[in-house]
Amino acid sequence: MLNSIRPKNRVIFGYLLIPVALFIFTVFVPLVAALFYSFYDWKVGPNKIFNGLENYVKLFHDEVFWASFRHNIFLVVFCIVGQVGIAFILVMIISSKLVKAKGIHRTFGFFPSTISAVCIGFIWLMIYDQRKGLLNWFLVQIGKIPNMKSGPVWLNEPELIMLLVSIPLVWQYVGYYMVIILSAVASIDTEVLESAEIDGANGIQRARYIVLPLIKSTLLVCVTLCIAGNMKAFDNIFVMTKGGPGYSSMVMAMYGYKTSFETGYLGYGSCISVAIFVLSLIVIGGSQALLNHFTTDEYDRNEAKQAKQRQKDMIAAAKAKYGKGGLR
Amino acid sequence: MASEKILETQAVKNESSGTKAGNTILGIILNVFMWIFSLSCIFPLIWMGYSSLKQKRDFNKDIFSLPSEPSLSNYQRILSNPDYNIASSMINSTRTTIISVALIVVCAFIVGYILARCSFKMNRPLYLMFLMGMLIPVHSLMVPIYIIFSRAGLLNKWYTLLMPYLCFNLPVSLFLVEGYVKGIPTALEEAAAIDGCSFSRSMFSIILPICKPILTTVAIINVFGCWNEFSFALILQSKAFQTVPLALKNFTGQFNSDFPKMMAAMLLTMSPVVIFYFVFSKQIIKGMVAGAVKG
Repeated sequence: MLNSIRPKNRVIFGYLLIPVALFIFTVFVPLVAALFYSFYDWKVGPNKIFNGLENYVKLFHDEVFWASFRHNIFLVVFCIVGQVGIAFILVMIISSKLVKAKGIHRTFGFFPSTISAVCIGFIWLMIYDQRKGLLNWFLVQIGKIPNMKSGPVWLNEPELIMLLVSIPLVWQYVGYYMVIILSAVASIDTEVLESAEIDGANGIQRARYIVLPLIKSTLLVCVTLCIAGNMKAFDNIFVMTKGGPGYSSMVMAMYGYKTSFETGYLGYGSCISVAIFVLSLIVIGGSQALLNHFTTDEYDRNEAKQAKQRQKDMIAAAKAKYGKGGLR
Repeated sequence: MASEKILETQAVKNESSGTKAGNTILGIILNVFMWIFSLSCIFPLIWMGYSSLKQKRDFNKDIFSLPSEPSLSNYQRILSNPDYNIASSMINSTRTTIISVALIVVCAFIVGYILARCSFKMNRPLYLMFLMGMLIPVHSLMVPIYIIFSRAGLLNKWYTLLMPYLCFNLPVSLFLVEGYVKGIPTALEEAAAIDGCSFSRSMFSIILPICKPILTTVAIINVFGCWNEFSFALILQSKAFQTVPLALKNFTGQFNSDFPKMMAAMLLTMSPVVIFYFVFSKQIIKGMVAGAVKG
């Protein structure tokens, strides 16, 4: 902090006014507005009727909404395993001394995460296409199906659809997480690994007992990014299926969009927005708490507990010595 | 997955036995595996690249073969027909991206610097406000932001998208700047102040040049973010000012049976970021990693 040469309040105010005002207008005003409109029965047009908590009651019994919430959770779990898990394995392979051209792998692997989700969606639409898709073409080449026309219409399979829309997501971000984890692994002191090697630890043991604990914090960042990213899945799904067939690939953001802009129920749409807000925060916050609980081991926790106890004891001792309020 | 496990166990066995031949074989396996992975990542680019030179009939006959008579007619048709909006959307996207990124960099620098260096009553509350802004799931704002913007008459203007792009990307960017500024010793500004330098001048002519690396990172992260953003462009923007992802969505809606044309359109709209990426890939990867880990 610059305490000796602090500028005038007027100057600070002048600099901050526009960014802060804009920020409040685009982020917090809509948030409050969503809460406000969620109490109204409002279809596009001038007529709004206040109906109290009715929207929320409806939401609570809304099968489609809860199905889309489950789909979001599915995406989150699938992508944590798929993106971060595969990325970790790839990192273990790429950081082996035997692999050449690391720079190229990194550049190419990272590439899909820089193109828009809309493009990714279209690319995979073309891959899944029945008559002109690469997937069916490949199945024909290896002789699984006689010709393209008899192949499955992939995006019409309700049981497979969630899997099919998550594969592009995994494909797009594996390289991204690979690069993040790789940068963490690169910062590990090579002496640690070498001494482990001399002690006779094999590749898997080194990965599990040395690399994994040392890059734990980076992995946690990746998992958190992954959770936050997939709670807001929208672009891919919008392009590929629009939530269909039926509701079998609906996610929360997509449902909010459909209710508000295709059927025009802005009141109920606001209510869904509030629900997305609350549920996302709960999932992100809850997963953070869980991760913290499971990743700090017993020893750390005992240590922290003891430290707290010691502090308490000291304060109590000081109080006993100097009397109440004497602790300055 | 299983095959990779096997690979690793093989790696272990071979390394421990330490035979040279084993290492070469293992090296080949691992290298081939990594090449399959990287090629699968850029494969769509290649496939789209040569397929977009085909005609529809040619493509439908065999989707995988190289074009028998390559021609750029798909590109010509897309660019020459104003109804497709591809060319105009690229202009819109370029304008939106450049202005938003410039705004983000300037605002993130000013706000981040002030939050890091000045003690005033509202410092902590503002800090918390931006932190909360980072945690808010942006898709829950889609519906209300549409309502607010249509009330305020801000829909379908050339500047409509600047506001959400600026505000949604500001928190991460300003925390990056803030963290960086905290690492700069205050002695610099104190010395400047003794020499009679004003607050604004020391901010812009002393700290700004020092912050160049982090501001580059901020700019890089946001170029991709703004160019690729879809959902808010979808609800806030009409045809006249649509950005690239939106134009692409409308275009492919019309031509979903003509794959080569779709591919040509996608490649055209991707080209600026793809070129940007492959030219500056090292800095971009570094910047994105820094942004992801610190943000």
